[in-house]
Amino acid sequence: MSKEDNKVKDASQMTWHQITTEKSDRRDAIKKLTAGLIAGVGLASTSCSVFSDDQEKEISQLTWDEFFKKNYKIMSDEERIQTVQRLEALYEKKTGNTINMSHQGPIEDVLFGYAFNISKCQGYMDCVNACIEENNQDRNSEMQYIRIHQIEKGHGFNFEKADDNYTNQVPAENHFYIGTQCFHCENPPCVNVCPTEATWKEKDGIVVVDYDWCIGCRYCLASCPYDGRRFNWSQPHVPEDEVNKNQHYLGNRMRKKGVMEKCTFCIQRSRNGNNPACVEACPTGARKFGNLLDPKSEIRWILENKKVFRLKEDLGTEPKFWYYMD
Amino acid sequence: MKNYFKIVSLLLIVMVLSCTNNKEKKYHGVIEKIKDLEKDSIEYTIKSTDFFDTEQFVLVETKETSFYITNRKAKIKKFKCSECHSKSISELKMTNLKGQKAHSDINLKHASLKELNCNSCHPTQNLDNLKSNLDAPVDFNQSYKVCAQCHSTQYKDWLGGAHGKRVKGWVNPRISHTCVDCHNPHNPKFEVRYPARFNSKYSEQRK
Repeated sequence: MSKEDNKVKDASQMTWHQITTEKSDRRDAIKKLTAGLIAGVGLASTSCSVFSDDQEKEISQLTWDEFFKKNYKIMSDEERIQTVQRLEALYEKKTGNTINMSHQGPIEDVLFGYAFNISKCQGYMDCVNACIEENNQDRNSEMQYIRIHQIEKGHGFNFEKADDNYTNQVPAENHFYIGTQCFHCENPPCVNVCPTEATWKEKDGIVVVDYDWCIGCRYCLASCPYDGRRFNWSQPHVPEDEVNKNQHYLGNRMRKKGVMEKCTFCIQRSRNGNNPACVEACPTGARKFGNLLDPKSEIRWILENKKVFRLKEDLGTEPKFWYYMD
Repeated sequence: MKNYFKIVSLLLIVMVLSCTNNKEKKYHGVIEKIKDLEKDSIEYTIKSTDFFDTEQFVLVETKETSFYITNRKAKIKKFKCSECHSKSISELKMTNLKGQKAHSDINLKHASLKELNCNSCHPTQNLDNLKSNLDAPVDFNQSYKVCAQCHSTQYKDWLGGAHGKRVKGWVNPRISHTCVDCHNPHNPKFEVRYPARFNSKYSEQRK
């Protein structure tokens, strides 16, 4: 080693020594304090439970894996199964309750469509309640996918004059009711604007969101001409006993703060042959759901035999949600 | 000059190839897509028979369609009616029952009593059936036939699927509710009541 190198080393040791001696009291105190804290926390955690270390390790391992998963859209079937199992395990470890999360894909030869009879809707809002319960929507912010608009007759479909939070008895004299939610457009503007491809249209026509890829930019919220999307401004809260445990990755699994969500035609139900919760809850039969590719389905009969229309058809969004009247 | 042609032709080939690489077929609208992709007979892996046993239901068959409806007789609390009504109504009226009134819970509010009364749908004899306008007996499980005599547009919509409601599921075979599952035949109008939900956050935000 050369003399110069030694000098440099000496100089660095000098400065280091100077610093430590100058502030020795405070540094020692902090060192002792942190060492004591670490020992204390360790002692407390081991004395409380023998398993807690393993449990915490597992949770942190699962959360770690969750951070580095792919977008659901490009996952292989195996990766999807792993992801769903990981989320089930995480839920069980955190709450002690088991959930059943599905990753079921679209059914062959199915394109979902929806029809809404504005002559039949009486504005009871039973559909809204069913939707909230089925889809684990945030109870604190009172999020709801469905809006039922009460409009006075004689003004057309004037949503400026509509009331979607009425307190009067229904059906009110000289009023009609029209429900809106996500229309699952065939040409969805929300999908085009998403910068992370966190939302897309599935083969069966359902527009879905991967809540773990959403960055919360709300471009989709701004681009939707139908007010179909909702944003979680706060951490969603559902009481544990009210959580719907029958879930789908792209559907009603628990969301987090800062992500978008919306109606998925109850993907966890519809892909199992069931009707969405709103259709099942409607006491007037104003809501119709079915496969557009089946010429014998009821929805096709409605499209071919009733006078149907869609909202803002001139935008070319091609919603798969038709309105009709008797 | 030769190189220029080579580059241009290469670019053209790349352009053509990238155009034909489109994964999804483009349609002008969803109706065009439906017409292109529709299948005459679709075999679903899930059927509504997975939820229900069709034997519990009643088959409705017309020229255009066939589907199942709920079994009305199984729902009536005391069927057969003849178990109580051993005598015909006219005979019952003759006997003195000392103020006893059966079916006192029924308050008929269906059209006006000038147009419809009990005898419009229930025969005076053989009360185990309903009756048509021309006094032909109609089975309780086919009660929709009685309704259809006046409400022909609703009947047509119901057969097609625009009116009424499925019991469960959207898959085949179709299992639907019959008229009297939703409409009380003695008081068919839907009730006026308060909506099931009020959103307190909306009202706060819009103050």
